Amino acid sequence: MQIGRIHSWKKVTAQLLLLALPTIALAVYLLWDVNAYYNLLQNRYQEQSLFFATGIVTAIIFYAYRFRFITTAAILGLVYFAVYKFIDTLAVGEFDAFFISVRFLTFAILFSLGWVAGYGFSRSRYFTIFWSVFLLAMQIIVVSRTVAINSNTLIFAFAPVLAYAFYVIYTAELIRNMNEDEQGFTWFIGKRLIGFLMLAGVVLFALLLVFQKDFKAIEQDWGGAQGGKDKGGKESMTKDNKDGSVSNKDQMRMTSSLSKDKRLVFVARVDNFFPDGKTPNPLYFTSRYYTRFDTLTQTFETDDKIPSNDLFSPDPSKIPLYFAKTDSTVLTNTKATKNRKVVTADVYRVALSPHEYLAPTTAFYCQPIAVENSYKDQFKSAYRAKMWVSDLNSAYFIYNPAGNKQLEAFQEERFLELRSASSYAGVDKMFMDYYTFMPRDEEYNRIRELATRITKDANTPVDKMVAIRNYFTSKDEFGQPLYRYSDNPGIPGLPSASKLNYFLFENRKGYCAYYAGATLFLLRSLGIPSRIAAGFLTVDRSSKNPGWYWFYADQAHAWVQLYFPGYGWIDFDTTVPDQNTQQAAQPDGTPPMNTQQALLVADGQAVSIDTAAKKVTMKVKKLMYHDENFTTRLPKEFFMDVSLASISRDTGAAALSDIKPGTNIVAVSFAEAYKTKKPTDTDSLESILAKSPKPAPIDEVKIMETEEQKKDRQAKQEAASKPFDWVKAAWITLAVIGSFLVLLFSLPWLIWLFVSSKARSGNTPKTKAYNVFNASTYYLNQLGYTRHHQSPAAFAAETDKTFGTDFSRFNNVYQKVKYSSLPLSSGEVEMVNQFFPSFIQKVKQRVPLKTRLSRFLNIYNTLHFFTKPKIK
Amino acid sequence: MDQPIVLEESIQVDQALENIQRLITNIETVIRGKRHQIQFILTALLAKGHILMEDNPGTGKTVMAKTLAQSIAGRSHEAGVNFKRIQFTPDLLPMDLIGSHIFDDVKKEFIFKRGPLFCNVLLADEINRASPKVQSALLECMAEHQITIGETTYPLEKLFFTIATQNPVEMEGTYPLPAAQLDRFFIKIVFGYVDEETELEIYNNYLGIANNLDHIQQVLSMEEILFLQNETEKVQVHEEIVKAVRNIVWDTRRHIDITLGASTRSGITFLKCLKAFALVNGRTFVTEDDLQMITSPVLDHRLIYRNKEAKAKALSSILDKEMSRLGKLKIL
Repeated sequence: MQIGRIHSWKKVTAQLLLLALPTIALAVYLLWDVNAYYNLLQNRYQEQSLFFATGIVTAIIFYAYRFRFITTAAILGLVYFAVYKFIDTLAVGEFDAFFISVRFLTFAILFSLGWVAGYGFSRSRYFTIFWSVFLLAMQIIVVSRTVAINSNTLIFAFAPVLAYAFYVIYTAELIRNMNEDEQGFTWFIGKRLIGFLMLAGVVLFALLLVFQKDFKAIEQDWGGAQGGKDKGGKESMTKDNKDGSVSNKDQMRMTSSLSKDKRLVFVARVDNFFPDGKTPNPLYFTSRYYTRFDTLTQTFETDDKIPSNDLFSPDPSKIPLYFAKTDSTVLTNTKATKNRKVVTADVYRVALSPHEYLAPTTAFYCQPIAVENSYKDQFKSAYRAKMWVSDLNSAYFIYNPAGNKQLEAFQEERFLELRSASSYAGVDKMFMDYYTFMPRDEEYNRIRELATRITKDANTPVDKMVAIRNYFTSKDEFGQPLYRYSDNPGIPGLPSASKLNYFLFENRKGYCAYYAGATLFLLRSLGIPSRIAAGFLTVDRSSKNPGWYWFYADQAHAWVQLYFPGYGWIDFDTTVPDQNTQQAAQPDGTPPMNTQQALLVADGQAVSIDTAAKKVTMKVKKLMYHDENFTTRLPKEFFMDVSLASISRDTGAAALSDIKPGTNIVAVSFAEAYKTKKPTDTDSLESILAKSPKPAPIDEVKIMETEEQKKDRQAKQEAASKPFDWVKAAWITLAVIGSFLVLLFSLPWLIWLFVSSKARSGNTPKTKAYNVFNASTYYLNQLGYTRHHQSPAAFAAETDKTFGTDFSRFNNVYQKVKYSSLPLSSGEVEMVNQFFPSFIQKVKQRVPLKTRLSRFLNIYNTLHFFTKPKIK
Repeated sequence: MDQPIVLEESIQVDQALENIQRLITNIETVIRGKRHQIQFILTALLAKGHILMEDNPGTGKTVMAKTLAQSIAGRSHEAGVNFKRIQFTPDLLPMDLIGSHIFDDVKKEFIFKRGPLFCNVLLADEINRASPKVQSALLECMAEHQITIGETTYPLEKLFFTIATQNPVEMEGTYPLPAAQLDRFFIKIVFGYVDEETELEIYNNYLGIANNLDHIQQVLSMEEILFLQNETEKVQVHEEIVKAVRNIVWDTRRHIDITLGASTRSGITFLKCLKAFALVNGRTFVTEDDLQMITSPVLDHRLIYRNKEAKAKALSSILDKEMSRLGKLKIL
């Protein structure tokens, strides 16, 4: 039986070369890309591409004959099924069977995909559009799994698919409409393709140029460390760093909800006790201060240039183990002389970022310390902080002592003390202006009025503060609390109302940032210098280990600090207790006791590493011996035995092989051998090293990373721990689909620009006549006046009837140009030259602009123009 | 391929075009609202072919044929072309058409008495009512342009144009023409009713129209018609149009709903008709419009369709495809 052909061999060749080949090329690229993300695919993208290629080529050749899709697809399915069954009986082990069937499945899917694509290219005219959308969707899914999204990723992911999409839609149409009998068939296709590719390149380039800013912005939003949105889109007081650690956030934007989790962030021991010596006095841990409120963004901001900067924020990861960093300027900047003492706090990190330094106000000292071996898997690193703490500061200071007589007495004592503080008269004016600044407009006047009203009976700043606290904890006329705690305060309904006003006067629900912000303005409106402190609130849950505190992520907090002359900055917390959620007491674990004393600490670069014998030689630059520091200009070699040493990084345990020649390391020894040999006044770095046993027994080696190493490793970690981000995926989807749609919908217009410019440009009468005719029919078609199957003359007559144009006469000339070799008369040439502008003008007059715009958005009209009817 | 048009000739073409216009105008004084049908009939005439008109009785077929004949034949048979009309009936015999040998008493021999076929314009009315034998006789003459009786071959007139009419095939007492014979007609048109307004006009003026028929003037001489027929050959047909004809003919053979496609002879006829139609429309070159207009009248009666639905659709879809190809063609 002779099976009829649908397409000529020319068409099939064109389809194979111009549609299938680029598709296969794209498939190779995409499969290669996908293989990078899915282990299941086993990195066999060449093989997979071959499956796909076989499918598409077979289908194109196959469907060039009169085969029906459903029957052939059914047969294909049957074949798959039979082969699958066959494999099932063949495979020996379960493991083999799994892998073979997985590979068969990939084969079946890719072959079918290719088959469907081939069928679509061969038979369906609109298939290319679906196909492009399908590929884009697939690409979106793949990209959304990408860890490090930046503009390059987006461009590399979407530019090829987008370019391919336009190419394939155009080319399929071209092949469909090609004149198979024409001479120079290859040139016909070739020149159009070259033109198209150039056009597409220009458009794509322009698109990328236009969107690059957006890409960059999105990149910053997603990739930058500034972001604080977590999965639910909720606001959190902490931010998740890319390496999985936690820091306090930089901004405290007041948004509609706050999410909290119960992750342990760090554990600290604070050496601060009440005068009785055994009741621990917890202190809030401060991370940073918010001193400025940006009225535009409704955000509290940190400020690098605050007057009398008393914030000490070193990066503990940059300080060698056991070496200390001290900033004494903060001590003078606290402007505090009364009731201050030095307190030590040891902070053991769990999820806390190694770069983050948290300590109670006012810290001035940071010394990274070693974590004892048995705790190393729980605590990544530790540092010791020292701070200049006011006796008057306490986590208990404002809050309800809950019947604890001792605490009540303590509170009263502190209030008394602070009432005696001198007035702000003597304080530096710049300092006062800065810390009492608030915007002046209607909204803030309302706050001012409220502040004056609720503090009318209070005379001293501390009384005013207490009055404000009492206002927040007061009850309304129904005996219900006036203000409530809520993690979801909701967004103000009126856009003009400021969130603070909304919180203070309307909603009266909020979380710590709301209370702290409101208090700040109430205080500032009364002329009391104040600022917001952000960090962690400290809860004393432990009776077993006094002085040890456990900090969970939901303890991230914001509160206010007031300045009292002579006493410095004192913490106050006005956030009302959360009545709805009963805070479940989290069990505190065993604190990491650290009894060892570092006798010898050497800081320098590794020179050679013998991983077998576990010996390391380093060049020592700095040495600490029995708490005395020694330095040298000429780094000295030091031979060490690290067989017992634990090797660590900021982020946790490391291996000896991680130390490379040139790595900065700190070696610590707790060895008995050093205990008795105390340094004398004449000792130098060299002499101590010389006296030391060879090899020196070392208990701790910490790898200090160089910046490049750090970045490198962070990037890797990032890649390992990024969850699927739907918001991101949605954004990419929107961006890509958006740009795709913009291009798609502007396509009719772009084509019109092209054809009309061709029609307007001067040329020989013959080409001009053709271009004018083409542009005119395109324009009419796009406006919905389709030629359908009318003959040119009939169509021209109808057009003239509708628009009052002179199309028939032009058509006569055009037909003459087209089908005869007769020369045109001068009148006819004139006609060709004059016709187009007036014709378009007349059509425009009859069709309102709105209609024209909407019709020009209709891509189907455009497609229709290029359609070739099928024989039915 | 482009035949250079000599200036001298094109002047004559202008003359020819003018003559055609005169002819059409003349016919239109009697036949109202049938512009296309008139054009098709003239097309068949200029293409040296024959035409078959089909429709219900009373639609003006015969009047049409008579008007045309009189426009070119004139009232006096000597001056113009010779016009004959035969009313076909079931008992008509071939010799009634072609003539027969009769015995001449004077010369004592059989002489050939020529039948009505020896004329210039023949109106074969209700051709499908005659028996197949008669039909074949007529159609053979139309094709061969000669009559052979016994050993003698008699050529027909140089200008021999048959206008056949037939009632729709479904009517009783008819012998439908077989496809092979229908092929002999260059064009088959369905006469159809006039539109409402024209019909009203006809009712209002029927006396005048009948009067016009009686006073129809001869506007073209035989020489002029022969000249026009010669001119038709010179009409320019672009290569792409020839290709289009080929494509259409091929598509009818390939089409799934057409059991019998167009023959090569049909294609040649098609081309001839295209040329004639262009000339009738006042052009010396064939355009897409000609193709659009002429395809169905030329090809439709030659094809055998699978069913009625196919008859309605198949040819027009083939034509649409070709029209679309031509429409987008860039010929420079």
